[in-house]
Amino acid sequence: MADPAVEMRGVSHRYTSDPVLRDIDLTIEQGEVFGFLGHNGAGKTTAVNILTTLLVPSAGTARVCGYDVVADRRKVTECIGYLPSDVRLYDHMTATENLEFFAKLSGVSDPRKAAAGTLDYLGSSDLGPLRMSTFSTGMRQRIGIAQAIVHQPRVLFLDEPTSGLDPTGVRQLRETISRLNGELGMTVFMNTHLLSEVARVCSTIGVLNHGELIYKDSMAKTTERFPNEASLEDIYERMESRPA
Amino acid sequence: MSSSRSRVTTLARHEYRAAVRSRALVSLLLILAVVTLVSIYIAATAYRSALADYEAYVSAAQAGGVQLVAPSPLRLLSLLRGAIEYIEIIGAIIAITLGYLTVSRERANRTLPLLRSRPVTTGELAAGSALGALGIISTLVVATGAVALLCLGIIGGSWATPYEVFKMVLVGIASVVYMFAFYSLGALVTARTKIAANGLLICLGIWLVVVLILPQIGDTLDADNQIPGGLFSAIGVDKAQETEILTHFGTYEFIRTGIEELSFAKHYERFAFAMSDVQDKYQGFTLSQLAREKWHDIVWMFVYASALGFGLWRGFRRQPAISQGVKS
Repeated sequence: MADPAVEMRGVSHRYTSDPVLRDIDLTIEQGEVFGFLGHNGAGKTTAVNILTTLLVPSAGTARVCGYDVVADRRKVTECIGYLPSDVRLYDHMTATENLEFFAKLSGVSDPRKAAAGTLDYLGSSDLGPLRMSTFSTGMRQRIGIAQAIVHQPRVLFLDEPTSGLDPTGVRQLRETISRLNGELGMTVFMNTHLLSEVARVCSTIGVLNHGELIYKDSMAKTTERFPNEASLEDIYERMESRPA
Repeated sequence: MSSSRSRVTTLARHEYRAAVRSRALVSLLLILAVVTLVSIYIAATAYRSALADYEAYVSAAQAGGVQLVAPSPLRLLSLLRGAIEYIEIIGAIIAITLGYLTVSRERANRTLPLLRSRPVTTGELAAGSALGALGIISTLVVATGAVALLCLGIIGGSWATPYEVFKMVLVGIASVVYMFAFYSLGALVTARTKIAANGLLICLGIWLVVVLILPQIGDTLDADNQIPGGLFSAIGVDKAQETEILTHFGTYEFIRTGIEELSFAKHYERFAFAMSDVQDKYQGFTLSQLAREKWHDIVWMFVYASALGFGLWRGFRRQPAISQGVKS
């Protein structure tokens, strides 16, 4: 059986005395689109930072693509793509130059072809020759996703990918995620506030409340379990209001 | 090419391109280019006139049957004095700005987490940035040297000999080491401050002390510097008497020299001036004689540059992509 795409065992983290993550156990299988939900400050970004090797957990172990995020950092970074919230990239470079740069760092053998192919795949070839400094938030986000997938990672981490996007941008992002998952088989780990988008695109959800994982299940089972709730927003409110 | 070397090269090219496209840095480079060119142009014009006078004197002497003519007092490389001083002052600011931009660019664009989420080690990041900066600095120094050589030949009317070109190359290497030390300072201090602009301000403060204040204090305390031509010459004291007098001021001279020695810029200036025949006393010295006279300046230059380069290496390696937490 293949290794899970993401595996966290007893992961805790604290920046000061207060823990931000508490004893998280989480498994995400390959090919899933996982929506990580939680209020501001719940610890979602900290979890992503640990899984993308940017942060060493205070306790516990985390594995991505079967590799430990601390001991096998290089192996993990070879198989992940990452889009942080409010990504800017290099303003003095064009979109294509940015993509080629990140592709080279990831060891892609033909960075030019990879950059052109990725822009084409995302329907953003027209942005290639333009400087990033001239881009709107939506355009930056498209190039941000392009840099995250230019090396065709197995697991894609998206941290609040819809922040600052207009409704059209949100819809395009949703379509992109579905295509990446459906056509390329990428596992997607997405932190978000937009529950309506989670309901449409995610196969599994997890809810983080004050650093504790209070819920994790598939979207199908979630809607079955809460038959009286009209939307994911209602389900989420019920989960959060339950005592931890 | 190994993948690690490929990543370092990619990062170095990236650094080079970012520097070339930075308006602030290009403006500083243009200022340095213009003042250096003007300085060499004026010096070369004066040199051409002095050379014509000397050649007229030689012709007149030979026409008059004089067998023994005085050797030329002109020293071609001494025309580089202005260029060396501008590299010492403006070159240091350019290098500091380059170091500042290396760090502040990643912070402003929030790209450090993106870089660190790639298979790139902190050592590769540090090496790539430093290599890119060395590329920019070397380009600047080589371009300045090439233009200076052409100016000396075309405007000054004298082409440098291979020996003089070799000494210029040594000055060029010292200039690269000197500027790299200030680049390391700029990047290291900026990386250690929370607000990048504060790092730049601190570095400019250090520049002021190291490049301007300390050498000025040393010069001001030197009694022989107070009168044009030298105090001892003015009062008719010969070299032996001067040495005898100065033995009574041993502690004073030790402190004065010590203050100057604190300045990294002074070591660069002393070495570069000696190599460029700016100071009379080194005229006619062979390379080995110059090396014997200036070995401590060479050592200090490399000590300062190596220490700052090592500090940068450690600073980059320890710089977290995001603020880290606490181990349980």
